[in-house]
Amino acid sequence: MSYNKQYPMQFTGRGGEYFVIWIVNIALTLATLGIYSAWAKVRTLRWFYGHTLLDNQAFSYLASPKQILKGRLIALAALVAYYAASIFAPMLAIALLIAFILAMPWIVVSSLRFHARQSAYRGLRFDFTGSVGEAARIYIGLQLLIPLTLGLILPYLAYRQVRFIAENTVYGQTAARYRGSLKPFWGVYLLAFALMALPLAVVGYGVYQVFQMQAAGLPKEMVGAAVGAHIAGGMILFYLMIPVVGAMIMARTANLFYNATELGPVGFDSSQRARDLIWIYLSNLVLTAFTLGLFIPWAKVRLARYRAGRLTVTGPADLGQFAAGQQQGSTATGAEMADLLDLNLGLT
Amino acid sequence: MTRFSGDFFDGLTSRAHPVTASLEAGHLRIEGDGIAIAVPLDRVDVAPPVGAARGVVHLPEARELHSADHAALSELAKAMPSGRPERWARHLESRLGYALAALAVSVLIVFGGLRWGVPAMALLASHTLPAGVDRHIGEETLLLMEKISLSPSTLPAARQQALAHQLAAQCRGQACPPHRLLFRDSPLFGANAMALPGGTVVVTDALVKQSHHDEEVLAVIAHELGHVQHRHSLRLALQSIGAGAILVAVTGDIGSVTDLAAGLPSLLLQSGYSRDMEREADTYALAWLNAACIPPKRFADMLGRIDKDASDKASLLDSHPGTVERIRPFLAPGGCT
Repeated sequence: MSYNKQYPMQFTGRGGEYFVIWIVNIALTLATLGIYSAWAKVRTLRWFYGHTLLDNQAFSYLASPKQILKGRLIALAALVAYYAASIFAPMLAIALLIAFILAMPWIVVSSLRFHARQSAYRGLRFDFTGSVGEAARIYIGLQLLIPLTLGLILPYLAYRQVRFIAENTVYGQTAARYRGSLKPFWGVYLLAFALMALPLAVVGYGVYQVFQMQAAGLPKEMVGAAVGAHIAGGMILFYLMIPVVGAMIMARTANLFYNATELGPVGFDSSQRARDLIWIYLSNLVLTAFTLGLFIPWAKVRLARYRAGRLTVTGPADLGQFAAGQQQGSTATGAEMADLLDLNLGLT
Repeated sequence: MTRFSGDFFDGLTSRAHPVTASLEAGHLRIEGDGIAIAVPLDRVDVAPPVGAARGVVHLPEARELHSADHAALSELAKAMPSGRPERWARHLESRLGYALAALAVSVLIVFGGLRWGVPAMALLASHTLPAGVDRHIGEETLLLMEKISLSPSTLPAARQQALAHQLAAQCRGQACPPHRLLFRDSPLFGANAMALPGGTVVVTDALVKQSHHDEEVLAVIAHELGHVQHRHSLRLALQSIGAGAILVAVTGDIGSVTDLAAGLPSLLLQSGYSRDMEREADTYALAWLNAACIPPKRFADMLGRIDKDASDKASLLDSHPGTVERIRPFLAPGGCT
């Protein structure tokens, strides 16, 4: 049997089609004071999954709106309790904040698990088997080391996050393996550090020039103008660099994630490019601003189409040999909590 | 019902079995190579279709039937014993006209909600919240402001006391909301006065120094008492929460509440809202000054002096009467007898 058949991932959804679904979702959510938002979320995900094709078969999203609504209400109640406490009883609010932070690993794991279990392909569900203990080591332990190590832990943190998500993903009963190493993550973050150092260099050069000018005995006004120009230039460059570096990290991390992950006989080939992502993000931003937000559906579709188009699955001539695992239920509370806290679990 | 084709998954392996399906005597019959099953309709769950994405029919024991034949699937859904709320959404999504109507309704609800709904809800909520909430928020706000922008007053104690005595004397003659008068120095706020939640009124040294008459200071305090009377600062806080809730509904992203709720919408809207509130506080001040036998012109004089920027500025959501228009009612002779 040949094990190197290429299956390109396809996204077949069109912006116009999503626009109609999107606007009806918004109208019904507003008209029901937000209750419909759970149904809206499910419809949106089902549309995106249903248009994502691999080997001419679509993915399916299985969560029920009532599950999402329940999770959303619990997460919202927790947030309201925290805000109320911060007004009436600040000490209780601090205790709640510590409780939230301690619950973070559980929220991360439960969110990834819910997301995986509600996703299916060819009638088989995904699963996520990561432990809360390992999540605590990565999402609290290593995170705490960032300031202590002046950010030098970041490549290792990113590597552990990617490995944590990849290694614990299960399709049917086939567990994924991760064969990547730490080294390429250093490449990504050294480039990021270098890019972020550029604005600093501009400011530094300005300060150096000031000393030169002072030594040459130039008037104070000229020296001041030179300092101002370099600081302003450095600031502008700094803010331009943030999205550029963000897109670069995202594209390369996605590639490092997929290219080193194996799911049984199946491998992945992801070739996202930073410059493409930067272009998509910036043009989406501009068009969304000019259309007062009406471009949002097309923006999301563009991104989905790019990501799918850059992903190829390599595997046997027949993808029909995966077997089912045990079916288990899960609750949406952690997932909605993660949404509420805006946790960036990356990668999907 | 006609037969339709699709892919059947048995829930045991990832193999796709090409099948044809049909509705027969209350059963969904599925037939293909080596497959012949009939599932009673009450155990079939047709996932509500979304757009042109593949439809999924859930069968017992984690089995699935996928099909792109939307006409047949919607016919199947109609034959199901119970309807689902999503049927309405599907109906609305079916025609562009409905979608445009949904767009119009959304825009109307968002603007109407921000302009009238949120302030009305905030007003209602401010009546039900106990006074302790205001006081607590007010104390926290004062502590924060004292850290960043307020320092103790440099006015002579005698001057502070004289102004406080005049206010107290007036408040014996007419009803004032519970309040506490504080003098503070603040280069950041300049000549200004602020009403904090819970009734604390802060008057800056610069305001007292720029006044030509004690009654001018009292007039400004009367305006601030108007804010206190109507619990404006609490309503403002409640409004920014309401605006955040609307933002979540629009973006569909509950995470944005924590990012933006406090920032963008309240920034955008507070100027619009606070104008209505200014008007309310002005009305209160005018009545207060008349009852106190202080010429209303004192307020106009003070406002004209401290508000150098007396040009009319129009905001996104409100056409606001500028300072010139605001002080007009105060220029009429007072109603003191």
